[in-house]
Amino acid sequence: MKKQPTLFIIISLLVTIPGCQEPNDRLLIGISFETLQTEYWVASVEAIKAECEKHGADYLVAVANGDANRQFEQINNFIARGVDGIVIAPKDSHTIIPIIKAANRAGVPISIYNRVPASMGHDFVSVVADNYEISLSTVRYMAELAKASGRPHKALIMIGDLGDMNAVNRRRGFDDAVAEHHDVIEVVSEVPTEWNQEKALAGVTNALQANPDINFLFSSSDFLFPSVVSALKVADKYHPIGHPDHVILGGFDGDAMAYRMLQEGYLDADGVQDVFYECQLAVQAIMDALNGKSPEEKTMVDPGFVIHQDNLEQRADQMWGSAF
Amino acid sequence: MTKLFTIVKRQGIIGLWLLLILGFSLASESFFTAQNLVNILIQASTLTIIAVGMTFVLLSAGIDLSFGSIMFLAGVAAGMLTTRGVGLGVAVPTILIIGLLFGLLNGLLIVRLRLIPFIVTLATFYMGRGLGLLLSDTRAINLPEAILQIGSSRILGVPVPVWIMILVVLIGHLILSRTVFGRYIYAVGHSKEKAAKAGLPVNRILIGTYAMGGLCAGVGGLVAIAQLGAVSPSFGLQSEFLAIAAAVLGGTSLFGGKGGIFPGTVVGAFTMQTIQNGLVIVNADPYLHQLVTGAVIFLIVWVDSRQNAKKKSLSLN
Repeated sequence: MKKQPTLFIIISLLVTIPGCQEPNDRLLIGISFETLQTEYWVASVEAIKAECEKHGADYLVAVANGDANRQFEQINNFIARGVDGIVIAPKDSHTIIPIIKAANRAGVPISIYNRVPASMGHDFVSVVADNYEISLSTVRYMAELAKASGRPHKALIMIGDLGDMNAVNRRRGFDDAVAEHHDVIEVVSEVPTEWNQEKALAGVTNALQANPDINFLFSSSDFLFPSVVSALKVADKYHPIGHPDHVILGGFDGDAMAYRMLQEGYLDADGVQDVFYECQLAVQAIMDALNGKSPEEKTMVDPGFVIHQDNLEQRADQMWGSAF
Repeated sequence: MTKLFTIVKRQGIIGLWLLLILGFSLASESFFTAQNLVNILIQASTLTIIAVGMTFVLLSAGIDLSFGSIMFLAGVAAGMLTTRGVGLGVAVPTILIIGLLFGLLNGLLIVRLRLIPFIVTLATFYMGRGLGLLLSDTRAINLPEAILQIGSSRILGVPVPVWIMILVVLIGHLILSRTVFGRYIYAVGHSKEKAAKAGLPVNRILIGTYAMGGLCAGVGGLVAIAQLGAVSPSFGLQSEFLAIAAAVLGGTSLFGGKGGIFPGTVVGAFTMQTIQNGLVIVNADPYLHQLVTGAVIFLIVWVDSRQNAKKKSLSLN
């Protein structure tokens, strides 16, 4: 008898939790993200939710906190729950394979967001930004500015986690763009950050210590900008565009801080992943699959774009950080 | 190579640190400059402070995996308070109190529920980060200039983060070497059962070590955000592992009862920061950074374990 109030509370909770309501005839989409640790991921999950709502679908959201096994379990739970489709931002390109297999076995269409699976032999659609091309175009734009100044430039790149293909491709894009302009740009420092702000701050400070004449800096992610700004300020090198000691600055992502820095005239160029476009593609692929439409291509690429001082007004709406 | 092993064997971590300084100085003339040595001191300040806290916990034969989450939570609280116009006079003590309370919570859960520290602090690691993410709405918080002043100001020519580090090291070292509480920590770390039989307040000591750890994590978080000027959702991630590595490098045993803050943990933290600094200064291949750091940790722990084994066999003979 003593257990009755507890039982009553549990039943009441189950009835009132939205996820436990009676099924209806609306589509149910499972959204799984490996992490929500940066603004980029938060903006992405919000955009996917908005796309689901646009299609009149309900959604469940699960976050794996960087644990591939947990993500696999969460997907199995989605399938057991009877979702009609899955949009997933996986931990990496290998651990997604068993997840795709599980979705395929259950006949649930699956869209892979932000990463391309290591094996293409299953049914899925992946949506990914062209990390290489976007960083290549961004650094090319920065290099043109360096060239126009008529001065030689010493460059620093902040590299992300070297186990992350996106970080590796961004570095490749930087290297190739700089190689095209080797007459004006010399890379004097490569700072590994492991996507860690404290490490990035120490790394940039040390690089500026070893090479006080660094005047060209590319960050592989905008979320490292607080570290960049802090280190440049301490070295008295944070000046707006037009100042004789301005450091040509570029980044990648399109987040809110990059948008502010562009507006305030400190950031020269930013490679933007078109989050809204990518999320629209990811959800549309599920809807197409449910309507029996086969995808034209298994991997859909977001070409992204470079935003800079000259096109800021025209393209700010497409920069997800401007709305964040 | 043989000479290197001999020096490391004889001098331990201090020898290795001096060797690293010598090596980097020969590799780049930008390394051994007053400005760069100050840089190393500033950059090592956060790690040293949290490693001091971790030393307390490790000496009691415990472990705390929630340091990074405490730093993050403290940072979020600082961001929320200062961006709402609350002065540093209120924000700074609040950060420290959050760290202290979080540490107390860890200690109480471990002692009262008799749970393994690894599991308890793993749980509070998730809880702390989750709470921080919830409060910050998973968005980066840019801090006002007033907080940055703490990170960039100098007193008597010495940067404030370095002063804070010196203060924490001094207090920590004095507690461990000159107080009854400090001696009790070593006793509990050697053997809880024997300490309890001797009438020591084991539970209170354990709670005290985790509270000290939490407080140091809060202070470390404050020093880090004062230099960064922003708190991102990934702030503090994996800091606990760096703190453990620094303490262990400095000779603190993972099994408790052996080690100390000065020079041990301090030199351990400085060694790790010297490696990071030196590799950037000489513009080493980015793939080498983790490899070198891992190799140094392995080398010093290996030498240490060999020396311990030798001492044991000598005492048995």
